[in-house]
Amino acid sequence: MSAPDADLQPGSLDELPGDLMMWVLIVSELLVFGAGLAAFLGVRIADPAGFAEARTHLHPAPAGINTIILITSGFLAAKALEFGASRRTTTIRWSLVAAMGLGGVFLVIKGYEFADMVGNGITTETHPLFTFYYLLTGFHAAHVLAGIGILALVAWKNTVRNLEVGTAFWHMVDLVWVLLFPVIYLLG
Amino acid sequence: MKTDPILRAWFSLLVLSGASVAAAFIAGAGMGESVVGVLVLLFAWMKARVILARYLGLWQAPFWQSGFNWVLGLFCLLLLGLYLAPTVMV
Repeated sequence: MSAPDADLQPGSLDELPGDLMMWVLIVSELLVFGAGLAAFLGVRIADPAGFAEARTHLHPAPAGINTIILITSGFLAAKALEFGASRRTTTIRWSLVAAMGLGGVFLVIKGYEFADMVGNGITTETHPLFTFYYLLTGFHAAHVLAGIGILALVAWKNTVRNLEVGTAFWHMVDLVWVLLFPVIYLLG
Repeated sequence: MKTDPILRAWFSLLVLSGASVAAAFIAGAGMGESVVGVLVLLFAWMKARVILARYLGLWQAPFWQSGFNWVLGLFCLLLLGLYLAPTVMV
């Protein structure tokens, strides 16, 4: 009798829930945003007083509301995946539509923040804090927009595998925000 | 009655977010910069742990959950070091 094929043995990678490639993406995104946050605090070392003054022009209250919006949206996406196991298609779709709606509200609030700051003459050139602010939160907002599109596709083609991949992307956006928000708005 | 783990995770995230903002506001009331930095980053790390475990389902993979927790914890320590560097260097 031949030994079982080594390729068929379960390895630690097989323990990961969902799609392996999505985890590769999650780690990649964490590295990119993580490097950005470390660079942000690294540049702050040279001018802590300037950063403290510049931070007073940010909008922590709307950003705090956006934190609640995003984690609630993540909750709805996680519930959609749970409903996926029991194939409750209508409930899955409504959960995802609600998650997407909250993502839309997040972008509207972010748009208000950007519009107000640009209206006050604050651009990427004004101070290094704002360079990082526009770059990191703008890049994150682009991910929110992409995530809304992905959730829409998953609501349409809602197989369990699609739900796992789509909601994992959405949670990655959530994960990045819970690191971004405190560093930029509270510590910057 | 058993509580839904995802609902519990959502509630934990709300509480931790509130605590994080409260810690930053207390900074204005004279709490030391280092204490605020420790608290805000500790809460951020705890929130990341909840999202990884419950929203992303890593509770099913203890090996990976532990690995992510360690790496994110070390990353938060790096951020804390960078945040406190100006205070230490004065």
